[in-house]
Amino acid sequence: MNAYLEIASTRVRYGEVEVLKGIDLSVGKGEFVALLGSSGCGKTTLLRTIAGFNTPTAGTIRVDGRDVTRQPPDKRGMALVFQSYALWPHMTVDQNIGYGLKLRRMPARDASARVAEMKSLLGLDALGQRKPGALSGGQRQRVALGRALAVNPDILLLDEPLSNLDARIRLTVRHEISALQRRLGITAVHVTHDREEAMVMADRIVILDGGKIAQTGTPQEVYNQPNSDFVAAFMGAENILDVDVVARGDSMEIAAGPHSLRATVHRPGQAAFTGKAIARFRSESIGVADASDDTLGTKSGGLLLKGIVEQVSYPGGLWRHVIHLGDNSVIVDAERRFEQGAQVHLRVPEDRLYIFPAHRA
Amino acid sequence: MPIPLIGLLLVTPALIIVLLLFIVPLFSSVTGAFDVDGSFGLGNFQKAFELYSSDMIFTVVIVLLSTFLIGLFSIAIGGYLTLGSNPRAVAILRWLYRWPLFVPFIVVGQILRTFLAKNGLMNSMLVEGGILTAAQTVSFLDWRGIVIAFVWKQTPFVTLLLSGAMASLDRSMIESARNLGASRTRILIEIILPQVLPTLLVGLILSFVTMMSVLSVPLMINAQSPTMITASMAFRINAYGDYGVANALGFISLLITSAAAWIYLRQTMKERA
Repeated sequence: MNAYLEIASTRVRYGEVEVLKGIDLSVGKGEFVALLGSSGCGKTTLLRTIAGFNTPTAGTIRVDGRDVTRQPPDKRGMALVFQSYALWPHMTVDQNIGYGLKLRRMPARDASARVAEMKSLLGLDALGQRKPGALSGGQRQRVALGRALAVNPDILLLDEPLSNLDARIRLTVRHEISALQRRLGITAVHVTHDREEAMVMADRIVILDGGKIAQTGTPQEVYNQPNSDFVAAFMGAENILDVDVVARGDSMEIAAGPHSLRATVHRPGQAAFTGKAIARFRSESIGVADASDDTLGTKSGGLLLKGIVEQVSYPGGLWRHVIHLGDNSVIVDAERRFEQGAQVHLRVPEDRLYIFPAHRA
Repeated sequence: MPIPLIGLLLVTPALIIVLLLFIVPLFSSVTGAFDVDGSFGLGNFQKAFELYSSDMIFTVVIVLLSTFLIGLFSIAIGGYLTLGSNPRAVAILRWLYRWPLFVPFIVVGQILRTFLAKNGLMNSMLVEGGILTAAQTVSFLDWRGIVIAFVWKQTPFVTLLLSGAMASLDRSMIESARNLGASRTRILIEIILPQVLPTLLVGLILSFVTMMSVLSVPLMINAQSPTMITASMAFRINAYGDYGVANALGFISLLITSAAAWIYLRQTMKERA
């Protein structure tokens, strides 16, 4: 892929603390990339460094082959949408959207035509004379987007633009923003801590952990093939088992435990290893059956677990069970309800089980 | 005892003090202004306008000019404190600009008297530096000296209020303007200033009222006519024991400050609404 925005071995420090510890990332023209991570992982710092509000201590940032590392924010062809929207309360919607055009000395008639175009693109037609204080959260967010897009930037940077919106509005705005981005063919970098938001909106997800990139890939790749325990946990594989594994060629054999049977899992993309390991899986796509019913036992592949139902709830769609495996407990969703206290067997399919070396002793 | 009565009893001492030390003297001064040999009349005002109308104009012009300059300087200093890119320069300025707040007006007058006189420190430095010859030097001990003293003393006060208001603005509002390519001057004038205007107005009005009441600076710096109303009032009482005209002058300066107070009150009402 041709890199349009290129970030090479970039490091940023705030005083004593190094926040970005060498980031390498390239974004193609027209691509929508989400920077995903928990708070303090450096995702906003990375975005602000791309925008030109932080100066890296090492590394370069290039746009279309042009080194912009030391360029001021306005010379980079980028527009940033702030988390707080940062609208100017003393200006009307029209003035907010048109400010960048005024700075570029665009003739007044062209500028007001462009402002009108932005307003109709974002459904703000009737609100031109209002001040930001008289707008709803969703409307403010769209004004902020219009202000950024009005100057026709090459790259759109979005800093958690949906985090101040109501949950219901957020779902529709997600789709509005990604549809708009595709329509305009604009390159976009979006910062978020919301996994689902990143999955739904982005072409590619970059997961950051402690100032480094943990994994980069399409939503399907990072969801289905996490390359580390951190990514697996971040992508929702919250059920944990401590297991012992032995490498057998490109497969790994999981030793039998007090609540699990011996299993062999085939790992095409991962180097097999021997020793203590962490096995992770999600609550979805797990086979559940009564212990008396041995339909699960006759099927092969995956990891078979034996446990007792401790708690049952119905969050909607599927029944959610908390199942005790000795001292450990896991959460498993099933289509039918298993009563509290029932002995059950669980089968975790091979491709739903993520195994990583145990670092925690 | 019923509770409302206890409450009333508790505020009574404060009320009495306000009444005795503030309302009564103010009232007697106002009535004194209209008292001509024991009966009601406008004689004191007639005399005040005859003798001191040029002082009144002088006072209003000087205080308005000072207020305007204080506004300009405090916007410039506050703007640099908020937008300055050199952290060391910002820190030095932040440390330095507040000093005059702690210097009394009389000391400001005294300092500037020795500094601005024809043979004062400023002119000596200019002559030593070869910028002026001794023949070219002028004394600044007139209206210019008063304006310099007022601006020197009151700019830090307004800057203190203004830079606080500027600092409490959301930083991302400044960054979003920078992101679109606004220069620092434009950010100051178009983004920051409109949002801190109410604070600036309040600071300037409080300064205006303070300057209206300063006696020491005109006495120290401007020993000639016309001078400020405060100096004329002091002269009326000390030289002639003429309380009637002094009261009339006081009433006139009260009217001027009341106009400023009215703007101030209207502004605070608007903020609360």
